[in-house]
Order: sequence, then structure tokens, then C-alpha cells
Amino acid sequence: MSYGRFLLKRGFQGILVVWGVVSIVFMLRFITPGSPVDAVAPLDASAELRQRIAEELGLNQPLYVQYLDYLWALLHGDMGYSYISGIEASQMVFTKLPATVELAVASSLVAITLSIPLGVISATRRHQPADYAATTFSLVGISTPNFWLGIMLVLLLSVEFGLFPTSGRAYGFIEAFRILAAQGVSPGLDALWQWLRHIFLPAVTLGTYFTALITRLTRSGMLEELGQSYVQATRAKGLPESLIRYKHALRNTLIPVITVLGLQLGTLIGGAVITEAVFSWPGLGTTLINAINVRDWPILQATLVVIGCGFVLVNLVVDAVYAYLDPQVVAE
Amino acid sequence: MISPRTLRNLRKELRSSALAKIGIVLVLAMLLVATLAPFMALHNPTNQNLEENNLPPLGFSRATEETTSEMQNGSLVIKNETVLVNASASHPLGTNSLGQDVYSRAVYGARTSMMVGVLGTLLAAILGVSVGLIAGFYRGRVDDALMRFADISLAFPSLVLAIALIGLWGRAAVDIPDPFVMLGVVDPVRSALGLSTGMPDSFVLPGTVIVVVGLVNWVWFARIARGEALSIREEEYVKAARALGASDLRIIGRHVLPNATTPILVLATIQVAAIILLESSLSFLGFSGTTLSWGFDISQGRAYLSTSWWIATVPGLAIVFAVIGVNLVGDWLRDALDPGIEGEGGV
Repeated sequence: MSYGRFLLKRGFQGILVVWGVVSIVFMLRFITPGSPVDAVAPLDASAELRQRIAEELGLNQPLYVQYLDYLWALLHGDMGYSYISGIEASQMVFTKLPATVELAVASSLVAITLSIPLGVISATRRHQPADYAATTFSLVGISTPNFWLGIMLVLLLSVEFGLFPTSGRAYGFIEAFRILAAQGVSPGLDALWQWLRHIFLPAVTLGTYFTALITRLTRSGMLEELGQSYVQATRAKGLPESLIRYKHALRNTLIPVITVLGLQLGTLIGGAVITEAVFSWPGLGTTLINAINVRDWPILQATLVVIGCGFVLVNLVVDAVYAYLDPQVVAE
Repeated sequence: MISPRTLRNLRKELRSSALAKIGIVLVLAMLLVATLAPFMALHNPTNQNLEENNLPPLGFSRATEETTSEMQNGSLVIKNETVLVNASASHPLGTNSLGQDVYSRAVYGARTSMMVGVLGTLLAAILGVSVGLIAGFYRGRVDDALMRFADISLAFPSLVLAIALIGLWGRAAVDIPDPFVMLGVVDPVRSALGLSTGMPDSFVLPGTVIVVVGLVNWVWFARIARGEALSIREEEYVKAARALGASDLRIIGRHVLPNATTPILVLATIQVAAIILLESSLSFLGFSGTTLSWGFDISQGRAYLSTSWWIATVPGLAIVFAVIGVNLVGDWLRDALDPGIEGEGGV
């Protein structure tokens, strides 16, 4: 199979999964007690009014008509209007999405830049103090609930030392650059600085688990690779140790690391939801929790659809990168 | 199912690994605390005492502003004084904003975590292993359909799906009578030890949470079981059993499942850790059926972070130690049994 055909096949599977995601989100309403009318109608609404609301929301239609209407609207980017605020659901979700993406990307960057060197150092200095420090860190890191870590960071760094704001998001990353372009260097740099100060603690909070996880994976992968006979062969050939480590062993280690990262993407998004709750970060997680609490179905559905589809999309990218790095995957 | 060779490997690994020993000690300690909570707690964890709220742990004190007013020479004098609140020996880890004993709440919180961790994992394992074995054993269309369904489930992060399901289904909980209180042994033992009596006579099991964490974590078990079934079905002994006319159900139950237990067991251990973390996240966000939970206490303590740091710190440390313990046991099993899986699953 060629690389192109592989991507096509994966893309088709991805579309099937997206269809499944969308359908499950639709079904959620029918496995839930109560009716969306409850969320909209006043408590003392008459039966007649409730009937009118049900008609308005299209709830009196047969199930398959509701489903097809929903799919058709979704294809046109229409996810309905919030029951509470009347804002278009798609607009609401896409204004919140950048904050969550920013948080996820920032913490992944923190995790990747810290963990891979840490894992390599740990593996190449096995049973030395650096290795013990790295393994202890990674054990504690994968065992600490991130919301508690966030609270402890706030307690130490914000409450005690006042280094970082305790919550909120001053500017978006793109917004800060817009200010830089429109208002000049000084306010622009100030906006960027505020952005950095606000995202720092949430990114560390969300990134720690992944830093710990990837450190563990890199360490065990490197140890395994360094014990392989091809490493001994390259060593016997007289290649410098750094070349063996970074060009050969690390490269082979990264392939399984990428697989696990793809699988852990859900953990990243779930972690973002709770990190947002800790830092009042105005992203999809906060939106989701609010929507559930007030049964705002259009917003709830839109949030879940965007999270599910985002997951599928990023996984496709991971698969593509993976297949590019390891051509065996394409052949299978 | 557990062969002598497996036991030998477990023992050998345990002897050489200090971390494995620490893990076993932590897990046993937590099981002990959870089981014997009515004897380990210093106070009833739900008893409120507003006279003694926000007491600091032993060795610490808390500064607070106290306003007093009195009449002096016919005019009202208001005085602001900084008063130090000292720790009390009967609350070694302090009290929360309602005056509940932080230590005793952490002890009872262990019960919630253990129950949800073990029962949730069990449910996830039963669902996932069944699906995975069927998919791997029959292959073809059944496999395709089940695994596509698994892909779809995977597209919703566990925490997101769990929040949605619990938020929509409600937070049903079951009251389970505490066996020690029912037997009438708690009060006599506590009096003999000089502790306060009147411990809770029932324990709240957050039923919806258990069902939901099982439902959102089955996929990991399905993936592992499927992989095992795919390779085991090609083994000679399976072919022999089939030639002898054994039914599919018998082959899966008697041959495939027993030979797939090692990786399932290792995964189950990792999942207990993941589910303990998931449960604490859910109760932190208020999506739980019980208030005796580490995550819930952390969310309560958050409001008092600047004055009473211990309220959120103590239950958090309890989670960290419990999860470290389970993870170390998982590492031990993985290293000793070498089922060839990496740490999958998470919050």
C-alpha cells in the first residue's frame, strides 16, 4: 500500500468515527431522563405551552426525522442556539476553542521539551542520582491528580509569593499579536507578557502528568534499544556514543512514544477540562460543565461534537506522522 | 491460572525491587485504613463543630482578625486584633470550614476511593474483556464492528464522557450498612481506646460513578483482550479443542481467557490507579454521589486556600500516596510477568 492510499484509508475510517461520534451525541438526549423542554419551559408552564415549546424545538417529529435534521444542520455548521443565552452554539464553541487549544498545545510543548531529554539522561545514567531523581519525579507525576497540583501551585506561587495570577486568561495568544501589530511594541509586549503569566500555571498543571509519562516511556524505550544488538554493532564499528544514542536509539524509541501519545490525547483533553475548572480558564471545559448543569442541550452537543471530532482529527495527524516515521505501518 | 513459574517470577522481582515492596506496603496500608475506617478515624467524619472550624494541624497556627466592640465611657469602641488560633491535639491534621476532622475524613475517603477503584475496574474489565475476546476470537465483521465502536468510544475522553453521563443521569448513591457498626463492635472498641463514639452506621457508595467509570474505561480492556484472543486462537491447543468438537463459548472460557489473564491483570492494576484519579476528579467537580471523598474535600478546601491550606493539602496527599502505591504494584506485576504492554489509560 502506498502512503497516499494509507492516508485515504485512514481518512475514510476517520469519517466513519466522526459519524459515530455525532450519532452518540445525538443519542445522549434519549438515554437521559427528562426532556429538553424542562430546560426551556418555566416551572409553572401549562401543558399547552410545553407542547408549543416541544414543537418549536422539533421534538414532536419522529426520531429519524430529528436525527436527519440534526445531521443535515450539522453538515451546514448549524448546531442550534443556546437555550439559556440564545447565542448560536457553533459561535459559542468556536470562540471558546482557542483557549483550550492554547492550553493543550502549551502543556504538550512543556511536556515534550522536558521529558525526552529527561528520559534519555535517565536511561544513559542508569542507577545514578540523575536517574533516581527522574524516575521519582515521573512516578510522583503520573500519580498526582492535576487539579490538586494546580491548587498547590496556586497556594505556593500565587498566594504565598504572588508570582502568578490565581486564575483567568488576560489575552488570547493571537489577540496579543493583534495588539502588537495595532498598538505598537510596548502594549504588544505587555499583552504577550500577561498572556504568558496567565497560561504558565495551567500549562504546568496540565503538562506535568505528560512530562512524567513521556519520561517513563522514553527511559524504558531507550534502555531497551541500548541493549539491542544493532547498538552493540554500531559501537563496535566505532561510532561516537552520542550518534548511537541520538540518531539510532532515540529515533527508534520515539516511535512507540508517539503511539502512546496518540492514545493519551483523550487524557490531555480530559485534563484540560479539569485544569480549566481550577484556573477559571474560559475554554471548552468550563463551557461543557456549565452546559451540563443547566441542560443547555445545543451547547452541550456542540461541545461534545467539537471535542470528539478534534480528537479524531489529531489522531489522524498522529497516524500520518507515525506512518511516515515507520513505513512498516503502511505495509501492514 | 497462576502457574508456579509466575509465582516464582513475582517473588524474584519482589526480592530485587525496593519500589515493589513500597508499593505493596502502601496498597496494604490503604486497604487496611479503608476497611477499618470506623476504628482508625478519630471522630465521626461528618460531625460538624462550628466552634472549632479551620483549626490548623499540630505544629501550626493560624492568624485571624478578630473584631471586638465594647462600650467605654458611653461610646462604642471597636478593636481589631490579630489572634492566633492554635492546633488541638484531638484534631492532629486540623479541621475544615465546618469543623469536621480532616484526618477522619481522609480515612473515610479511602473507602470511597478503594470501592470506586476496584468495582469500577471490575465492571470495565468484564465489559471490555467480553467484547475484546469476542472480537479477537471471531475476527472478520464482528471484529470490525466492535473495534470501530471502540474507536468511537475512545474519541470521548473518559473524564468528559463521565461528566456528561453523571451530569445527565444524576448522582445516584447506595447506602451500605457498615458491617462493623452492625456487629456492634465499633463503640465498645472505641470506648476502650478512649475515642469518641457514634461513627456513621452506613457508607455511601456512589453507584452512578461506579457504573460510569466502568463504562468509560472498558476500551482499554477490549484492546488488550482482543490482541490476546487473536494470537491465542491460532495456538495448537485451541485447534485441538475445536477438532474435539468444543463449542466456541467453551473454547473462549476454558482456553482463551485463562491464557490471557496476565496482561489483563496488569492492565487492571494500572486502571485502578487511573480510576482512583478519575473518581477524585469527578468528585472535585461535584459530579459524585458522596461527600466523603478526597476530591470533594479538595474542592471544599480550595475556598480557604489562603488561610487554611491543610484542608485541600491533606486529601491531595492521600490521593498521591494511594496512586503511587497502586502504580508501583502495577510496575512490579508488569516487570515480573512481562506481558508486553505499556502503561495505557489515564484520567
